[in-house]
Amino acid sequence: MKKKKPILSSIYMWIVLAFFYLPIFYVVFFSFNESKSLSNFTGFSTKWYEAMFENRSIMEAILTTVTIAVIATAVSTVVGTITAIGMSKSKKVVREAITQTNNLPMLNPDIVTAIGFMLFFTSLRISTGYVTMLLAHIAFCIPYVILSIMPRLRRLDPNMAEAAMDLGCTPWQAMWKVIIPQIKGGIIAGALVAFSMSFDDFVISLFTTGPGISNISIYVYSNVKRVNPTINALSAIIVYVVTFILILVNVIPMIRDKRKGKKYETLTEVH
Amino acid sequence: MKHLQKFTKAALISTMAIGMTACSSKSTAATETIDAQEEYGCNSINVYNAGEYIDLDMISAFEKQYNARVNYDTFDSNETMYTKLLGGSSYDVIIPSDYMIERMISEDMLQPLNKDQQTNEADYDPAVLKMRDAYDPDGKYSVPYFWGSVGLVYDKTKVSEEDVKKEGWNVLKDTKYKGNLYYYDSQRDGFMVAFKALGYSMNTENQDEITAAYNWLREMNDTMEPAYVTDEVIDGMVNSTKGIAIMYSGDAAYVLSENENMAWYEPDQGTNIWSDSMVVPKNAGCPELANEFINFMASYDAQKANSTAVGYTSVRSDVEEEMTAKDGDYYENDAYTVRKDGSKDEVFHYNEKLTKALSDLWNKVKVQ
Repeated sequence: MKKKKPILSSIYMWIVLAFFYLPIFYVVFFSFNESKSLSNFTGFSTKWYEAMFENRSIMEAILTTVTIAVIATAVSTVVGTITAIGMSKSKKVVREAITQTNNLPMLNPDIVTAIGFMLFFTSLRISTGYVTMLLAHIAFCIPYVILSIMPRLRRLDPNMAEAAMDLGCTPWQAMWKVIIPQIKGGIIAGALVAFSMSFDDFVISLFTTGPGISNISIYVYSNVKRVNPTINALSAIIVYVVTFILILVNVIPMIRDKRKGKKYETLTEVH
Repeated sequence: MKHLQKFTKAALISTMAIGMTACSSKSTAATETIDAQEEYGCNSINVYNAGEYIDLDMISAFEKQYNARVNYDTFDSNETMYTKLLGGSSYDVIIPSDYMIERMISEDMLQPLNKDQQTNEADYDPAVLKMRDAYDPDGKYSVPYFWGSVGLVYDKTKVSEEDVKKEGWNVLKDTKYKGNLYYYDSQRDGFMVAFKALGYSMNTENQDEITAAYNWLREMNDTMEPAYVTDEVIDGMVNSTKGIAIMYSGDAAYVLSENENMAWYEPDQGTNIWSDSMVVPKNAGCPELANEFINFMASYDAQKANSTAVGYTSVRSDVEEEMTAKDGDYYENDAYTVRKDGSKDEVFHYNEKLTKALSDLWNKVKVQ
C-alpha cells in the first residue's frame, strides 16, 4: 500500500519555518530603510549601518558583550568540567548537595538571581561594573556546563581511568588522555550553551553592571523608546555573522572530506 | 569550536576597527580647550540619560574641549534609573523628569549645583525656569534639558478639527471615532487625561474625583475600543494607522514633520507640562566636571544640536526661536512650541500613595 503524502504535515512545517524566520527577515529588511520608520519602507539605504558604526555606545556594547561571553565561557567551562569530574568521584551526600546548589540558579527566575547578585555586591561594598558583570556571568554559566557534562560522566566506565593508571598513566595523564576525550562532546555542548546564555543575557547583566558598561541587550532595551533602524542594523549584523559561521562550519568539513577522498583516489591510482 | 570562536572574534574586531576609524575621522569645531585633570582633579564622568535623547556628537565635542572621558549610559524609564542609583551605582550627571527630581530632592539624593559654573540660565525661556519652581524651588539642584507637554495628535483627513477643538480631551469618548484611537498606556498619562477632561487637578487626592476619573476611563474603554500603546504610537501615527492619539509634544513634532496630514492640539481643559532636567547625585565622583557638563549641554550649540536630532523642545528661547523661524527645522510645526499661557496646565508631582492607587485602578480599567 502506498503511503499518503503528508500534506498537512508539510504545511505545518512551512508555518513553523515562517514563524521562525519571518521576524528575522523583517528585522534585516528594515535595517535598509531610508526613513526612521520600522513599519513603512520608503527606500533602500545603508545609512543606519553607518550610524551604527559611528555610535560609540553601540561599539562599546558589542565589545563588552563579546569579551564577557568569551571569558565567561572559558572560565565556566574549565570550572564546570573540573567540578563535574570531582562530583562523579565523591560521596553521594556531597554530590547531592552540589547538584542541588547547582540547580538553584537554573530553577530560579533570572530576576531573583539578578537581584541576589546586586544585593550581594552592594552589601560587600563592591562597586558594580565590568568585573561584577563578568563574575555574575561566570556564576550563571557554570551550572549549564556541569549539567551537560554530568550525563556523559555517568555513562563512563569507572574502570577505564583505573585501567589507564594500571598501565602506567599518572592521574593527570589518565584525566587528559582517557576521561576528557570521552566527555569532549559534553564539554563542547556546555561551552556552546554557556556562550549563548552569556551573549544574550539581559536581566542579570542589567543588575550587575555599573556606570559606563552595558552589553548589547542593555543597550537595545534602554533605546526601545523612539527606536530607529540602527538597532535593526545591529541585529542584522549579528544575523549575518551567525549565518556566515554556520555556513563555514557546514561547508569546511564537506570540502575537507572531498579532498581526503581525492587524495585516497590518487593514492590508489598510483598503486 | 576553537576555530569558531577565533573567527567570531576576528570578525567583530575588524568590524569594530572600521567603526572606530569612522568615528575618529569626524571632527567637531574646537573651541578653547581646558584640561579637566588639571582644573578639576579628575577627567572622567558617568552620564545617565534616557535612550535616544541626545546628539552623540555633543558628547565627543565635550570630551575634546575638556580633554575628558564621558561614560554615557541610557535608561528606559525614570524608575529604572532610580533603582540603579539605589543599587549603589555612582553617576555624575543624570537627566530625569520633574517628578523624579522632586522625589530625589526629598530623599536627599542630590547635591546643589555650583551656580557660578552655570552661565547659561540667562538665555533660558522664563516659562521653563518658572515651571522648575514646582519641583525644584529656587533651582538649586537642576538645570532643564528639554521640556514639553502632552496633547492630541489627529489625522485631519479622518477627524474633524472642529470636534477636536470643541470637545478637547472628550473627543476620546466621541463614538464617531470608535476603534480609531490610540490611548497612552501609562497610569500617569492615562489618568491625567481623565482628570483634565473632568476639570480636576491631575494631582488630586480627592477620592470622589479619583472615582469619577476611573469611571470616565471605564466608559472610554467600554465604548471606544482603544488601542493601548506607548512608543508604538509614533510609527502608528506617522503611517496614519489610526485617527487620533495622545502623545508627548516632542514625539508629536516628529510625527508632524513626517506626515503632513497630522495636526496637534493641546486641549483648553489643561494638560501636563513637564521638563527633564540635569542633576548631580550626592555620590558623584567628579562634581565640578559634572557642573561643566551641565553648562555645556545648556549652551546654544548643544541645545540646538540635541533639539535638531531628537525633536523635543529646547529650553533656550534663542534656540526655540531659531528652530521655529522660517528656515528652521520646525517651522510651522505646532507641536514644537510648548503652550506657555495655559492657566490649567500643571506639573506632575510625586506622590507615592497616589501612584500606587492609580496604578491598581489603571490595571482594572484595562482588564474590562
